[in-house]
Amino acid sequence: MRSIVRRRKAVNAAVLIAATAATLFALFWLVWILWTTVSQGFAALSPRLLTEMTPPPGADGGLLNAFFGSAVMIGLAVVIGTPIGILAGTYLAEYGRRSKLAETIRFVNDILLSAPSIVIGLFVYELVVRPAGHFSGYAGGLALAIILVPVVVRTSDESLRLVPNQLREAALSLGLPQWKVVTHIVYRSAATGVATGALLGIARISGETAPLLFTALNNQYWTADLASPMANVPVVIFQYAMSPYESWHALAWAGALVVTAFVLALSILVRVLLRPRTYK
Amino acid sequence: MSVRLDPALKAMAIPADRPVKLAIRDLEFFYGKHRALNGISFDIPENGITAIIGPSGCGKSTLLRTMNRIYELYPDQSARGEILLDGDNLLRAGVDPEGLRARIGMVFQKPTPFNLSVYDNVAFALKHYERLSKAETQERVERSLRQAALWDEVKDKLNRSALALSGGQQQRLCIARTLAVRPEVILLDEPTSALDPVSTARIEELIVEQAREFTFVIVTHNLQQAARIAGRTAFMLDGDLIEIGDHDRIFLNPQDDRTRDYVTGRFG
Repeated sequence: MRSIVRRRKAVNAAVLIAATAATLFALFWLVWILWTTVSQGFAALSPRLLTEMTPPPGADGGLLNAFFGSAVMIGLAVVIGTPIGILAGTYLAEYGRRSKLAETIRFVNDILLSAPSIVIGLFVYELVVRPAGHFSGYAGGLALAIILVPVVVRTSDESLRLVPNQLREAALSLGLPQWKVVTHIVYRSAATGVATGALLGIARISGETAPLLFTALNNQYWTADLASPMANVPVVIFQYAMSPYESWHALAWAGALVVTAFVLALSILVRVLLRPRTYK
Repeated sequence: MSVRLDPALKAMAIPADRPVKLAIRDLEFFYGKHRALNGISFDIPENGITAIIGPSGCGKSTLLRTMNRIYELYPDQSARGEILLDGDNLLRAGVDPEGLRARIGMVFQKPTPFNLSVYDNVAFALKHYERLSKAETQERVERSLRQAALWDEVKDKLNRSALALSGGQQQRLCIARTLAVRPEVILLDEPTSALDPVSTARIEELIVEQAREFTFVIVTHNLQQAARIAGRTAFMLDGDLIEIGDHDRIFLNPQDDRTRDYVTGRFG
């Protein structure tokens, strides 16, 4: 064998080994994190999780108020955030297209997409919590909505732009107005992509801690009043995990497991939705 | 190439005294700064089939896309000159493009069924323009599907997704939904180039049939197709109109050498 070929083969083998090692390294931590969450959380699972409130130190209890608070605030964020996100994505994909304004909005949206969530928490703290004088579920939902919006904007913009232009031309060529083409024809073709974006957004906000720390804070008791501080899973995990009490540690692990399972379920749902379909 | 004169063609012939439906006057078209049409003028008679032939990139699709102003979706494209529809310049400011497109429909190269049922594909635009009872809508949908020679194949699956139809059926569905809004002119941009010969023949037949009521303008790569169905044929090259005339003039006795070279297959 000639030396140049031997050299190429050696380089190829070296790169292959390095790439595989890097993959295994990344996977190792991921598996370790998941394994710890599952084993610790599984041991702490009990029906009380869903029937009892967060306990004081030393007592038994569950996470019902935290699950409820998280669900309500995520719900509020979805109600505020998805319509705004989808409408903005529609503007970008259907009306703004390649205009300077649209390109600027896309750029700013991408910055917002990667903004540290603690900054958004502080922003809502200044905007809502300080003037109101107290933490509240509304502020928490608003902070989550602000994190959700850029995710939905980005994904709906992209999935609308994936709809072939020929479809728009064909519909417009029938003499239909643009709003009708968008709402009846284009949305139908992009529906899965847009729904996927909303689900990914929910997955993203369901683990957010920092923005809730400044807005909803926490509540040891049951409350359905959005104007008062509200319990939520991420902040409870944060508080209980930092505590010195064994029973709180167990609850924190259980909460972490439930949130992880929820996000996993959303990801699976997204994959199912996005299964390759035959579109001609 | 030898083109046999089909007796059926007599039916397709367009008498010279037929009124003008579309008059194109000094039409120029620009993609950004690039000029794709160099000041074209010719008339398209009412009813019958006018074919536009020419090699790729000669501007024939561009010309078609100007006629219903669909090019306006793209901000860098612009047209100069006039296209008179029944004497009124449709390119002037103030013409409502939606109303215009209801009068001048268009069918594209690739079938573009909407992600709706077969029935709704036809009924959707129809319902936008006319207040019809359910029975009237059904009647119009059926009529359009029959005109497009599709009814017998889809009458039992009107509520199924149009995406499940074959390519040829999808294209006939696109023609049906265009016929349903009863435009005066129908632009066809290589409507059969993505289809098999059987589907192509079906579509040619239905166009010939409907050409008694509608004005068809068809852009085609397929010379035989133009020779088979067109009452008048225009030959374009590099953004210019070289020659226009009836079947015999263009396919048997072209006046311009470039037309002769093209129709005899020397280039293109």
